[in-house]
Amino acid sequence: MRNLVLSACLALASFFGLANTAAAEGLTLDGPPKVAMLYISPTNDGGWTQAFDEARQRLEDELDIRIRYVESVPESASAIRPAVERFIQRGANIIIGTAFGYSDTFKSLSEEYPDVAFLNGSGTTNGPNLLSFYGRTYESQYLCGMAAGAASETGKLGFVAANPFGQVNWTINAYAMGAREMNPDATVTVVYTGAWNDPTKERSATQALIDQGADVIGQHVDTPTPQLVAQENGVYGTGHHRDFREFAPEATVCSSVWVWDRFLKAELEKIIAGNWVPRENGALLSMEEGGTDIACCGPNISEDEEARIMAAREKLMNGELDVYAGPLSDQDGNVRAAAGESIPDGELWQMDWFVDGVITQQ
Amino acid sequence: MSELALRRPLMNRRYTLEVRQQMAWPWQALILTGSLIMGLLISGAILVWAGVPAGELLNEFVFLTLFDAQSLRAVLFQASPLIMVGLAGCLAFRARFWNLGLEGQMIFGAIGATAITLWEIGSPAMRLPLMVIAAMVCGLLWSVAPVLLRLKLQVNEIVSTLMLNYIAINFLLHLMYGAWKDPKDAFPYSPKYESFELLPDLANGLSLSFPIAIGTALLVLWFVSISRGGLYLRFVDKSPQVARSVGVPVARTILLAVLFSGALAGLAGLMIAAGQEGRLTHSFYVGYGFSGILIAFLARNNPIAATCAALLIATLFVAGRSLQVFYQIPFAMVQLIQAVLVICVASSDFFIRHRIRRVQMGD
Repeated sequence: MRNLVLSACLALASFFGLANTAAAEGLTLDGPPKVAMLYISPTNDGGWTQAFDEARQRLEDELDIRIRYVESVPESASAIRPAVERFIQRGANIIIGTAFGYSDTFKSLSEEYPDVAFLNGSGTTNGPNLLSFYGRTYESQYLCGMAAGAASETGKLGFVAANPFGQVNWTINAYAMGAREMNPDATVTVVYTGAWNDPTKERSATQALIDQGADVIGQHVDTPTPQLVAQENGVYGTGHHRDFREFAPEATVCSSVWVWDRFLKAELEKIIAGNWVPRENGALLSMEEGGTDIACCGPNISEDEEARIMAAREKLMNGELDVYAGPLSDQDGNVRAAAGESIPDGELWQMDWFVDGVITQQ
Repeated sequence: MSELALRRPLMNRRYTLEVRQQMAWPWQALILTGSLIMGLLISGAILVWAGVPAGELLNEFVFLTLFDAQSLRAVLFQASPLIMVGLAGCLAFRARFWNLGLEGQMIFGAIGATAITLWEIGSPAMRLPLMVIAAMVCGLLWSVAPVLLRLKLQVNEIVSTLMLNYIAINFLLHLMYGAWKDPKDAFPYSPKYESFELLPDLANGLSLSFPIAIGTALLVLWFVSISRGGLYLRFVDKSPQVARSVGVPVARTILLAVLFSGALAGLAGLMIAAGQEGRLTHSFYVGYGFSGILIAFLARNNPIAATCAALLIATLFVAGRSLQVFYQIPFAMVQLIQAVLVICVASSDFFIRHRIRRVQMGD
């Protein structure tokens, strides 16, 4: 499974506060940086892990260091611990994880090894030497929603999602809002497969959506299957994790892609410089900070439409656009953000409501 | 006659394969060790072929994996739930009941234990014992349906136990993404257990899980080799028809063995939730069902052998991680080596059960 940083962990925050007053200084590595990464899946999974591995290779070039890794480390303490302890035994002093299920184990390891810097992509725990990070995928998926709205003839969009919780729901709402930016009548019909990586279910969900008239398929699952099925049926789609034109060049009109190196380069430089103090509540990265970006645009998007999408991207990159700015109401009419306000991160993580235009079984 | 036979050219000698009735256990151990060494040599050859320097392999890899306190602890940490699922497999398979539902029973065991923590049943001192009981009862209950269906209606348990896994997995996801998600951050895991709900650490970071697993192995050994139930079980294993005709309560024996098996799998679920993760998580069970079957198969359903096999599998897991860390080899290579070792150990069975004998000819 993927994802996430946890926003408000009071116990951790207080722990952090204590440690901070006691030490008053951040973490400084003794010795040259030795970085190691733990991947949850194989490096060639086509999505989440491959994006991290591509970032790793770019970081090696840019920072001129060797970054070691282990792949296929499942989200269980009995698998994570031996790998991390071995790396530390071999001199690693910066450990980067890539799964939400590593959070608890990374937390206890960071306490056992206070001289080692820990980072965890999609983690939920933080501490004086532990930083969890994730991207505001709703920003890039808002842009993909715009592309989907532009590419659609019928205004009926389908969306194949993994599990119904905050970080998937925020993607879906942003997707619908983006689509309605281009076509005010667009609807997004969502099917949750209940799994991050289940090509069989993704195939049947995508086919069902297309059979019901959807002509663009968005996704927040880990495999490119929805794009492959869209291409087989001669309709369009938008990808997640990486540029899925690699798999379905005739169908994929836009992809939300991870650009971890943009964030990790800056953060690793800070750690190497010394006196590193990680953000208390983790790093929930906007496109401006280097979490996600888009690969756009594929077929059936006019130049005019592409210009509008790119203009919106520019605004997100400059921090001028907030997808969840008020006034914003859910489809039951409850006000979720008043005019001039925004939705705080804590509530984003808990999102269990949908905006107008979203059709779900939930 | 024998002098004649000796003088025959090699190609003319004839050999035959015989089934061995018995083999003394030191010989069995020797053959097993030999096959392990064979597997390690093949694995070493594969690694050297993949570019790992041979000298380094022996020096740091073998030494660090087997004689390092940290990695030994990691092996024991990993082994306890594996021993439990292995024992669960042994019990059911001895009753000729192909329990492929170990994962589902583990899931319900962990769910039962977590229910005790969420509903705060019992005082802090009583909490852990209650969780253990709940885990065993829930694992047992999840195996009731398939065993009754098999005994009453002849429903194939391979299908029913396997399918019940999917029901258990989806029920777990339903809880994790619904009522039992952590209210602190709405993430798909249960709230953290309190400190008194965790299996305590004994000396040197060794968790209570391991002594429990060893104790359970001895209990299962007593059950299958000394108790009356175990005697019945041996009848049922050899021939249910004969067992029935000599008055062994076949149905009751199968029922007992399978429920015992389900309870042990439930306990394995608790060991992961309360001994490793500290909460109920959404994918803790993955792979354990298959491992349990493999361990029981390697051990030929012997509880002590199953304990050894579980330790071997745990060592392979931990050593596999070290291999990746040391040599940056792909995980697929690690799986290949694990498979080579398992196949070598499994095929040693052939030499234990058979012998080659030269046939005298011409007389």
